[in-house]
Amino acid sequence: MLVTGIKSKPVYAPLRADSGGRHHLLLGSGPGTQPLLQVLAQLRQDAPEALARSRVLFVPETAADADAGFAAFSAVGVSDVRRHAEPGPLLVEFESLLADAVMGLRLYVAGPESFIGLAMKIALQFNLNTDEIRAQECGSTARRVRCVHCRATTEDVRTNIVECIGCRRWLLVRDHYSRRLAAYMGVMVDAETPGERPAIREVFP
Amino acid sequence: MSGGDTLQVEVTAIERITPLIKHFTLRPVDGAPLPAFSGGSHIVVVMRDTHRVHRNPYSLLSPPSDRAAYQIAVRRMEESRGGSQFMHDQLVVGGRLEIAHPVNLFPLDKIARKHVLIAGGIGITPFLAQLEDLHDGAIPYELHYAVRSPEHAAFHERLRTREGTRLRLYYDSEAQAIDYDGLLSNQPLGTHVYVCGPAGMINRVIETARRWGWPDSHVHWEKFSPPPVGDAFEVFLARAKIAVQVLPDQSLLEAIEGAGVEVPYLCRGGVCGFCQTRVLELDGELLHHDHYLSDADKARGKSIMPCVSRATCKHLVLDL
Repeated sequence: MLVTGIKSKPVYAPLRADSGGRHHLLLGSGPGTQPLLQVLAQLRQDAPEALARSRVLFVPETAADADAGFAAFSAVGVSDVRRHAEPGPLLVEFESLLADAVMGLRLYVAGPESFIGLAMKIALQFNLNTDEIRAQECGSTARRVRCVHCRATTEDVRTNIVECIGCRRWLLVRDHYSRRLAAYMGVMVDAETPGERPAIREVFP
Repeated sequence: MSGGDTLQVEVTAIERITPLIKHFTLRPVDGAPLPAFSGGSHIVVVMRDTHRVHRNPYSLLSPPSDRAAYQIAVRRMEESRGGSQFMHDQLVVGGRLEIAHPVNLFPLDKIARKHVLIAGGIGITPFLAQLEDLHDGAIPYELHYAVRSPEHAAFHERLRTREGTRLRLYYDSEAQAIDYDGLLSNQPLGTHVYVCGPAGMINRVIETARRWGWPDSHVHWEKFSPPPVGDAFEVFLARAKIAVQVLPDQSLLEAIEGAGVEVPYLCRGGVCGFCQTRVLELDGELLHHDHYLSDADKARGKSIMPCVSRATCKHLVLDL
C-alpha cells in the first residue's frame, strides 16, 4: 500500500522547557495554548529569569478564548504575548521575528500538525536545528497535500483521497512528508484505470 | 587510515614561517592527483624515525581545489613525544613520508547562515582550507585569530590581504584578548561557531556559547590531544592472545600496533571515536583522555580509546 511504512512522517513529543536557551519563543494555535502554559510554568521553576526573555504568539481556539489566553500567560509571568486571529498572520510575524533573532533562541510550537509543519518550514530556513526546536501535536491531523503532478497544495485534507485544488486529479494522500514544503505528497489514485477509486474515508480528523 | 592504503609523498618545500612553525608542501611520489578533501580535513602523517614510528594528525591548509599538492604546518612541541621534532629537525626537501587519506572531523555546516571562526596559534590551519570554500561570499563569516605576538602570526599577510575586515587579529603581547561574550551574545540565528586552538580557548568558547544559550549543534571544535605520557602497563589482547607492554611515552594504540595488531583509527587524537575498543576485564583504573566518550561511558569503564587513553592496572584485557 502506498500510504504505510514511510518513515518521513514527523513524530513530535510532548513539550518540555529547555532552560539552556536564553530566549524562548512560543507559538500556539488552537488547543496548543495549554502545552505552552506548561512550558512556561516549568521555565518559571527552572529558570525564572528566562520569562522576561520569553515571547508568545498565539491563535485562540475561538475569539471568546482570547482574553482567557492573555490572562493565563500573564498569570504564569509572561507579558510579551501577541494574539492573532489566524495562523497565517502569526507565521508572518514569526518569520520576521526570526530574521532579527540572535543565537540562543529556543522555539516551542504546539497546535495542529499542519501548523507545526509550516512553522518548522520557516525555522528550517533560519538553520534552526532539532536541538533548538520542540513541537507538540494537538488538535486536527488534517494535512497539507502537495500534488506531485501540478505542484499545487491542497489545504486541510481529512480524507485518504482528495481532489487536487490545482489540476482536479484525484490524489491518494501518502505518508511521504517533505519538511521543506511542509506537505505530504499526493499522487493520482486512478492513473492506471481512470475513474476507478477506492472509497473516500475520513482518516485525518 | 589503518588497514586502508596510505599515500607516498615527497616533501617539495619547507618554509619556516614563525619561530615555532614550519610549512611543508607534500607532492605525491607517483604524480597522480591526490584524493579530494573538504576544508577542515586532516591527514595522519607516518614518520619513520630511527627507533620508532610517529603517526601525527595535521590539518590540511592548502586549497581543497589543489589536487597536485597538500600543505600542512607543524608547530614544534618541545615537550612532546618527538613527532613534531622529527618534522622540524630531520625532514628535508626531497624526503619522503607516508600519509593516510584525508578525513574531515571539522567540516563547515553546509546550511549555516553565518560562520564565526576562532583560531588560536597553530589552530589557524584547518580554517585556511575552509576559507577557500568561503570566498565565494555566499555565506557571511568572520575570523578571529589570536597569537602570542606579531612574529607568531602565521599566514597573517595572506589572511590580511584576502580577508580584509573579516579578519581580526589579537596579540597576547599587546594584551589584546578576544571578547567572547561580545562575540557570542549577538550573532544572528543560524550562526555556527568553530574553534581550533589551545584547550583553554576551546573551553572558553564552549562555556561562553552555552551560557548565551547556543545549542551544541552550532558549536564546533577540534583539538587533537597528543597521547599523554604515563606509567608503563601491560595489556592482554583477547583475540590475538598476546600480552603487550605499553611504555611510558608510548600510546596504547602505538604499543598494540607495535605488536602487529591492527586497530582501525582516523584521528589518533581522541576525537573521532573510531578506535573505540571494548574492555573485557579490568583490575585497576582506566585513564580516559579522549573527547569522545561521555562522562557516563568513561565511568562505566567498558570502553577505551587506545589512541590517547591509558590505564593504571594490574590486569587489563581488551577485545582485540
